[in-house]
Amino acid sequence: MTASAADAGTDIAFRAVTFGYDGRDVVGPVDLDVERGETVVLLGESGSGKTTLLRLVNALAHPRTGTVTVLGRATTAWDPVRLRRSTGYVIQDVGLFPHLSVRANVELVPKLEGWTPARREERARELLALVGLDPDDVGARRPHQLSGGQRQRVGVARALAHDPGVLLCDEPFGAVDPMTRRSLQDEFAALTGRLAKTVLFVTHDVGEARRLADRVVVLHRGRIQFTGSVKAFERSEDDVVRALRGSA
Amino acid sequence: MSFWAYATANASEIGARTLEHLVLVGVSTLVAAGVGVPLGVLIARRSAMRGPILAAANVLQTVPSLALFGFLIPLPLLGGIGARSAIVALIVYALLPIVRNTFTGIHGIAPSVRDAALGMGMTDRERLWMVELPLALPVVLAGVRVATVVGVGVATIAAAIGAGGLGVFIFQGVARVDHAVILAGAVPAALLALLLDGGLHLLERRWDWRRT
Repeated sequence: MTASAADAGTDIAFRAVTFGYDGRDVVGPVDLDVERGETVVLLGESGSGKTTLLRLVNALAHPRTGTVTVLGRATTAWDPVRLRRSTGYVIQDVGLFPHLSVRANVELVPKLEGWTPARREERARELLALVGLDPDDVGARRPHQLSGGQRQRVGVARALAHDPGVLLCDEPFGAVDPMTRRSLQDEFAALTGRLAKTVLFVTHDVGEARRLADRVVVLHRGRIQFTGSVKAFERSEDDVVRALRGSA
Repeated sequence: MSFWAYATANASEIGARTLEHLVLVGVSTLVAAGVGVPLGVLIARRSAMRGPILAAANVLQTVPSLALFGFLIPLPLLGGIGARSAIVALIVYALLPIVRNTFTGIHGIAPSVRDAALGMGMTDRERLWMVELPLALPVVLAGVRVATVVGVGVATIAAAIGAGGLGVFIFQGVARVDHAVILAGAVPAALLALLLDGGLHLLERRWDWRRT
């Protein structure tokens, strides 16, 4: 681990990270710091390596070379289960467990962590309310009885249930209609701002990046092409950034 | 003598043979589930073992039941004349649908659900018991139901090796060319199969998370 990666205030650090298979690098080398409480949006076209970078953080993928540091410890030094329980994870298809009620979905990790039933229930109610759902209305329902937007909200609540330091989001609003997506983005920005969570957010939607990002990181063919504020993103003359802006 | 007259006159023996039949099928299906579900889980997780295990279960399924009973008789510990050989053979026949359905049930779970379970930090065991098996349960139970119904049919042949059951009437009836005696075994066996099929189907529906 390098000195800067160990700095207090850096929750996620990539140092000379590469990822690949069959002896070939498809991502990297990547160097990137995500500061505590910051929302970094990884933006790029399909196949640019965004999801891979995200999965390197919770050890669903492993770097070929380099080090990924999460909450002050290299991912290789973490027990993968502890690492994943220290990070919330929201994905496009949500992955709610269809045999469990909404409340049981939200309470699952706290349950695995040994929380008492009363504490779990209180937490589930609090989080469902926080993401704009009525716990009395949706708590006992099954995921298939919810709309797409409601399912995404439950996915966010579930990822926050055990109060993780870091939230990893892989195009979580990609499968909902544009109106719902816009409202989910606004609510998400307000929520993560209020909870001061460190967020690494993957998207290919430039508008989403503009609304959510403290910092935009553009990936192109597995490498970082641009990193900067939304304002800097808007001003950048980089060809890939301009192409992305043009596609929005 | 008509079937009804024979059945009325021999009601208590038909009842006793039905119970024997039920024990043969029940014990063998339970043991097959105890072996088959873990095997199904194993091949769902280790693809290298999938081919050999499914192929072995398939081959065993193709051995004619009477031949299998015959092969088992001389085997020490497992074999011999009577219920033990029959139960072993019935376990062999019940394995394939249970193993295959357990594998199918687990393998069919949506990738997003697997990814979420892994990403949330569930251990292997937690994923198996809290996500994979509950989601696969309706398909696993469908396999158990098929195994049970097949078992009721195959168990009638077990009478040939002295295992008892409703096949006793069928073999006696065939030897005496007496339809009433054949029916005294065949009708309760068919009813038993329908009853078990219906009962397990109800259980399957009750535990089917897709219906609630």
